[in-house]
Amino acid sequence: MNKACYFTASELAERGIGNLPDELCSAKHMIYSSPATLDYNSPGAKGFGVKRAGLVIPESVMLLVAPGCCGRNTALLNSLGYSERFFYLLLDDTDIVTGRYLNKIPKACAEIAEEMNPKPSAIVICVTCADALLGTDMDRVCRSCEEASGIPSVPAYMYALTREKRLPPMALVRKSVYSLLKPQKRKSNECALLGYFSALNDTCELYPLLRSAGIREIHEIGRCKTFAEYSEISRSNFSIVLNAEARYAAQDMQKALGIPFIELTRLYRIDKIRTQYRLLGQAIGADLDDAPYYADAKKKTEEFRLKYGSLRFAVGECLNADSFELALSLLEYGHRVTEIYGTIGERNFVFLKKIAEHSPETRIYSNLDPSMLCYVREPETDAVIGNDAMYYHPDLPGIGFQEEAQPFGYQGVCALFSQLDAALEANKRQEVQE
Amino acid sequence: MKKLLRHMSPLAPDDSGACGVLYEMGGITVICDAGGCAGNVCGFDEPRWHEKKSALFSAGLRDMDAILGRDDMLIDKLAKICRQIDAPFTAIVGTPVPAIIATDYHALQKAAERKTGLPCITMETDGTKLYDFGESLAYERLFRRFAAEKLPVIPGSLGIIGATPLNTGFTNADPVIRSLGTQEYAKITCFGLDSGLDAVSRASEYAEIMVISPSGLKAAQYLHETFGTPFSVGYPCLPEAVLRKTESLSGKRVLIVHQQFAANTLRQTLKHCDTDCATWFLLDRSFAEPGDFRITDEEMLAEAAPHYDVIIADRVLHRIVPHYSGLWIDFPHDAVSGSAERGTL
Repeated sequence: MNKACYFTASELAERGIGNLPDELCSAKHMIYSSPATLDYNSPGAKGFGVKRAGLVIPESVMLLVAPGCCGRNTALLNSLGYSERFFYLLLDDTDIVTGRYLNKIPKACAEIAEEMNPKPSAIVICVTCADALLGTDMDRVCRSCEEASGIPSVPAYMYALTREKRLPPMALVRKSVYSLLKPQKRKSNECALLGYFSALNDTCELYPLLRSAGIREIHEIGRCKTFAEYSEISRSNFSIVLNAEARYAAQDMQKALGIPFIELTRLYRIDKIRTQYRLLGQAIGADLDDAPYYADAKKKTEEFRLKYGSLRFAVGECLNADSFELALSLLEYGHRVTEIYGTIGERNFVFLKKIAEHSPETRIYSNLDPSMLCYVREPETDAVIGNDAMYYHPDLPGIGFQEEAQPFGYQGVCALFSQLDAALEANKRQEVQE
Repeated sequence: MKKLLRHMSPLAPDDSGACGVLYEMGGITVICDAGGCAGNVCGFDEPRWHEKKSALFSAGLRDMDAILGRDDMLIDKLAKICRQIDAPFTAIVGTPVPAIIATDYHALQKAAERKTGLPCITMETDGTKLYDFGESLAYERLFRRFAAEKLPVIPGSLGIIGATPLNTGFTNADPVIRSLGTQEYAKITCFGLDSGLDAVSRASEYAEIMVISPSGLKAAQYLHETFGTPFSVGYPCLPEAVLRKTESLSGKRVLIVHQQFAANTLRQTLKHCDTDCATWFLLDRSFAEPGDFRITDEEMLAEAAPHYDVIIADRVLHRIVPHYSGLWIDFPHDAVSGSAERGTL
């Protein structure tokens, strides 16, 4: 192989979303399991994949029903305290051919329920590509499990085969984790934040802004320690969807629980954040005063620019941001972006087009493309953002920016530049020492 | 319930075993999956992924590819990679998806060879079997396909089959070679560990073969039948820490749990102990002693444990018998806990 394949932002903008090159369409080539792909392809390896996400229901356990290969890397979650929460029903070829394992799932659930003290709040039945192909009716299976064990059961579909469908696995699991909520009287001063499996960063301005609008209780599944706390989510007067993959869950909640929802997006351009908060205020009938937060974030971006000048960044996709939106924000703050390792879709193509206007030569790579095996840095780069970018450039100062506490709004912008500042300072100190 | 794992995670599957053998062979290896199996291999079972580059890819199958049996798309993708990467052969490793749709691997092999012009080997792994099954398939296919020529034998040369990270925990051959003593042999090669397809092609020039895991037996038998190369079994690279902890054992009932040849070799070092060997993996009766057994589920190990004063096994297995009152000596096995998991313990 000669070299890693890339396209410039201007080339891609010119082609348009309907005419992306094969190298950037994962369905049209083999997939290279780069660190970025591992993050995506191995639910459980890092972050929240289907397995860990399913267990966000407090006090729940998961029964993975699959051939051994599907659950192999789940052991990585043991260090995070999940070792007591996973059970595996291993399938062999006869199970799959005859379908006899479908009768074993309720029995396994009954055994788990009998063995555990205290009883789990729910059993999440996780199924994989085998059941995707067999067309297993998981609603029926879960009903049988509930009857056999006396414990609510919900499905989690770890269907790598259906990743590009309208309802991909990560959207389905979001539906599942909220599906145990029961209707109850809603309270006008409570709301729910949907979208992430862990909570927002404690210092995020969204909390005080909502409180200023009279919201006293803000529910987030990532903060629920007990099933009782989880059950309180359905008291919410409205939900705020912070990640589009939670839209379907929010729609379900609207239908089943009568909780309407509003969508916000994680952005790193402060003017857009300001607009978004203004619209949120209008939607909930409150005047959200975000001026001090806006000023802080603006100051932070300006100070950073003043201190380091116009830096050249490489931006990955293993991070708490949309790679292209983040890259665009860096360009708008006066920096340069040499490379982006990301996945282009309809949602972020609009950012790509803007990037092409600011920086037509920015190179776009796909982490999944086999040619990335031969990646070698070419353009001079000063710093990198994202765990995948750090993998490609271990010698450059960089930040993973993929913490569990989710950055959002102005707080996210401040955290980004604070962390970059710290990494660049550390790099400077190291250079002096050397 | 059998097949219900309450305390441990699944053991290394057959597709990981096959990929481990092929990893350093220099070919293009395609895991015929949707992405998750490749993630398991690269992100968990293959510690070399972060040390040594290998052209190991996922086929990136989607539901309609599987439902409609679009093998031609797979072959097109493979041919595309072959135009980008210089490789002497291609390999296709099976997973549950092709197993369920009853993929015709023989046809796939022929189609791949026609389209790419390169030899292709296929492994009918399905993710439900264990790693040594996949290793055995891969070794056998490799040697049968590429070790065809009879070459002059190099006196004092030794070829080792079975030295994969899943068997030994090593990502390079040095510890295995050092453990054999370089004085004794003029040349030692661990097939597939710090060596590639060239060594396999020249397998007939080795004076003897050592098989360090049952997964290498079929390949060794092939070399013996084809070239007359004698082979022995053993495990020269027992961990120092295990040997230190076991040297003082005496008069004890001991159970060793590992792959069969590693367990057998450790048993030989124990003096005045009544030792049984057990394994989750292949158990070749011709290398077993009375009392040795194959573990099929957690309950079996839990029932056996109280009969022993000492258990020498991967510490992850201790979760199955948390109240075991005897002495537990950790004998790491990557196919059980995985180096990635041990790093988090």
